[in-house]
Amino acid sequence: MLEVKSLSKSFGGFVAVNRARLGVEKGEIVAVIGPNGAGKTTLFNLITGVLKPENGKVLFKGEDITGLPSYEVCRKGISRSFQVVNVFQRLSIFENVQISVLSRERKTWNLFTPSAKLAIKETNEILESVGLMGKKHRTTGLISHGDRKVLEIAMALGGNPELLILDEPTAGMAPEETSRCIELIKDLSGKRGLTLLFCEHDMEIVFGIANRIMVMVRGGTIIQGSCDEVRCNQAVQEAYLGGSDVCSM
Amino acid sequence: MLKGTLGGMGRIGGGAVLILLFLLPLFLPRFYIYLGSTILLTGLVATSLNLPLGYGGIFQFHHAVFYGVGAYAAALIITKSGLSPWMGFVIGPLTAACLSLIMGLICIRLSKLYFGMLQISLGSLVWIIVYRWYSFTGGDNGIHGIPLPRVISSQNGAYYFTLFVTLISLWVMYKIIKSPFGSALQGIRDNPVRSAMIGINVKLHQLVVLIVGGFFAGVAGSLFVVVDTAVFPDMLFWTLSLEILVMCLLGGWFTFLGPMLGAAIIICLRTFVSGVTDYWTLPLGILMMFVIFFLPNGILGYIEEKLHRGLIEPTIKES
Amino acid sequence: MDFIYTIIPPRIMSQIFVGLSRTVILFIVASGLSLILGVLRIPNIWHGSLYMVGAFMTFTISTAFGGGSIGFWMALIIAPLGVAFVSLIAERGFFQHLYEREHLMLLLLTFAFSLVFGDLVKMVWGMEYKSVPVPRVFQGSVHLFGGQPFPLYNLFLLVIGPVVALALWFFVNKTKIGKISRAAAVDREMVGAVGINVSWVFGIVFAIGCLLAGLGGALVAPTVNVSLGMDHTLIMEAFLIVIIGGLGNIWGALLGALIFGLAQSLGILIWPQFGIVFPYAAVIVVLLLRPTGLLKSTW
Repeated sequence: MLEVKSLSKSFGGFVAVNRARLGVEKGEIVAVIGPNGAGKTTLFNLITGVLKPENGKVLFKGEDITGLPSYEVCRKGISRSFQVVNVFQRLSIFENVQISVLSRERKTWNLFTPSAKLAIKETNEILESVGLMGKKHRTTGLISHGDRKVLEIAMALGGNPELLILDEPTAGMAPEETSRCIELIKDLSGKRGLTLLFCEHDMEIVFGIANRIMVMVRGGTIIQGSCDEVRCNQAVQEAYLGGSDVCSM
Repeated sequence: MLKGTLGGMGRIGGGAVLILLFLLPLFLPRFYIYLGSTILLTGLVATSLNLPLGYGGIFQFHHAVFYGVGAYAAALIITKSGLSPWMGFVIGPLTAACLSLIMGLICIRLSKLYFGMLQISLGSLVWIIVYRWYSFTGGDNGIHGIPLPRVISSQNGAYYFTLFVTLISLWVMYKIIKSPFGSALQGIRDNPVRSAMIGINVKLHQLVVLIVGGFFAGVAGSLFVVVDTAVFPDMLFWTLSLEILVMCLLGGWFTFLGPMLGAAIIICLRTFVSGVTDYWTLPLGILMMFVIFFLPNGILGYIEEKLHRGLIEPTIKES
Repeated sequence: MDFIYTIIPPRIMSQIFVGLSRTVILFIVASGLSLILGVLRIPNIWHGSLYMVGAFMTFTISTAFGGGSIGFWMALIIAPLGVAFVSLIAERGFFQHLYEREHLMLLLLTFAFSLVFGDLVKMVWGMEYKSVPVPRVFQGSVHLFGGQPFPLYNLFLLVIGPVVALALWFFVNKTKIGKISRAAAVDREMVGAVGINVSWVFGIVFAIGCLLAGLGGALVAPTVNVSLGMDHTLIMEAFLIVIIGGLGNIWGALLGALIFGLAQSLGILIWPQFGIVFPYAAVIVVLLLRPTGLLKSTW
């Protein structure tokens, strides 16, 4: 479904992403892992149009979407959540998700019908599925960090995506929030049939949910393979897992 | 349910204010009617600025250009072309909207402060052209004694016309804020990266709100022609732009009626303090400092916050 | 040298350089503005009022010393320092508390200060024009450009300009404070984390920037009517110069001032009525081609 070929990006002299490659099949859950600074978020930014790559290609469902601006990438069917929470802090939870739905329905050019009357059912459905229904009128500036990360996902769902990209979805969450989030992610894949691409630091989560794992180090892709393949790979062990033999586990 | 009660109270209150506004000319002396007209049209400019500024998050630093251009266009149509004066009141805002589109296309590529500064540059160019083109625009004298249709040439007539046009304009702008476009705009204000990622073409939406803001600034400019029967190049100068910005800030730039309140306060301040002393910018400066440090969301913003915390939050906790 | 006069008549050369000497003042004020904008990220609208205060203070000091040359030199030293002192107090007392907030608030605060000072100047000096005599040393002209008379004071200005530019360059690149402020412009937190008291550096940079505004005012005083409202057009032009030069770039301010001044002189020569529009048009052309300014900005 998604193919990343030899993507590169540098800032000044610093090479952030170096000929990275990635493949995601329909219905899969793929995780990207790597040490801090490996370029995971930059890779996601390149795929989703937040940054423009210097070299390489991004193909989605066969179509070349390299370098397209974010809003067009979204229209093609890719949605994303951010590592640093990016929500509309002055608006309520309901309004945050509602705008996402309205955008998908191309209604943002409607200048006269009151928003309050539109997209209520769809928005409520999404809020229900992520468990934010009870707090939907709270202003986002005032809710907990964990709830905000979930809101991020909810907003991404508003676009009814085929591919959902999650950038460190459980970062900064308390343990119970984390397990709730993992259940949500499993639901999204299992019940909704979404294709998922995410990056995480928590190895338990990664090895627990992912079908395939891609490992990034210093901007480049070392390997992409199944959990076992990655665990036993020499280069990965040296660069990331500490060098000890974890294959025997 | 509480929201309903507040809504109900709001409606009664709003209705009372409207009735009062309509009855004003019956019992107030002429000067106050003139003041009322001025407050209404200035409030309209401020509200039109607040669309891109408070709801769109755009650093619109030279909004007065659209106000001035709208006024000059209307004045020139009335005095120099053979067209009916009513055409002037239509062409004024349209000219302002066109200028808004042109300036918007140039400036929209840049963000935040750069946008504001580029707009000031372009606006200054317009100002200096108007200021220097004596034969066409009257230069630094402006244009005086603009003839108006009899219906609106009297003090009261001008007042009712202004009130009517202002109310309709406010209603339209309110509808726009409450529409999906308005929601998307507020999303863009709060987080443009997020907005783009959910499929919103940020630049295009911003351009549209600039045009709408410019249009209604032009409407206010036309109203100025009606109320003062004159236009001055000062209407295009950057100090006025910042004054209008201050009105938005003072009243509350995340609220709809904040700018109107800010305009009322500043105009009253200017009128009554100037009557007593020559030094009215001093109290304005001090008031601004007070607002910047203690009331960053403006007066209405402060009240709204208190209401929200005090009344609405507990209700949510219960439910 | 003489062959230039076949292309450009001496009279016009002379006029161009007189125009440039006036632009030196614009450069000095703009460089201070650029410094503050680059390091502290404050669009300092108050700068215009401080320029005006510098001019009015020059009038007072000059008159206090009997209107002679000594008065002017004293004013040239005291006025900028006085302005710097006041600005330091304002920065410590007011501006520094807003650094965490949006730029818009800082801009509005400087606007508030300019409103207050506009009235303060009115209160202290009244509403009439003031005149400052040109110091005797610089009265009269010298014969330059193929024998054309060139006012000595304008020659003085043409010399002062580069001197100020060099002094600023030295401060920013060679002194410890200058280097710290350049670092702080790029990453405020990092500098603080390294243990340097960033706060005071900002105060000093702000004061120096404002000192330049006062200096500009002092220098311009003998050449114009010192009046209320001189702050308004000047601050607009100074901002334009800073923008086309590149925010925070001193050489950019010099380049911008040169472009602005040349466009103004040439404009008036070619089209007397509308020539004054030329510099503004030049600004727009530059911004359309290079929106972030001609030289590298620190933002």
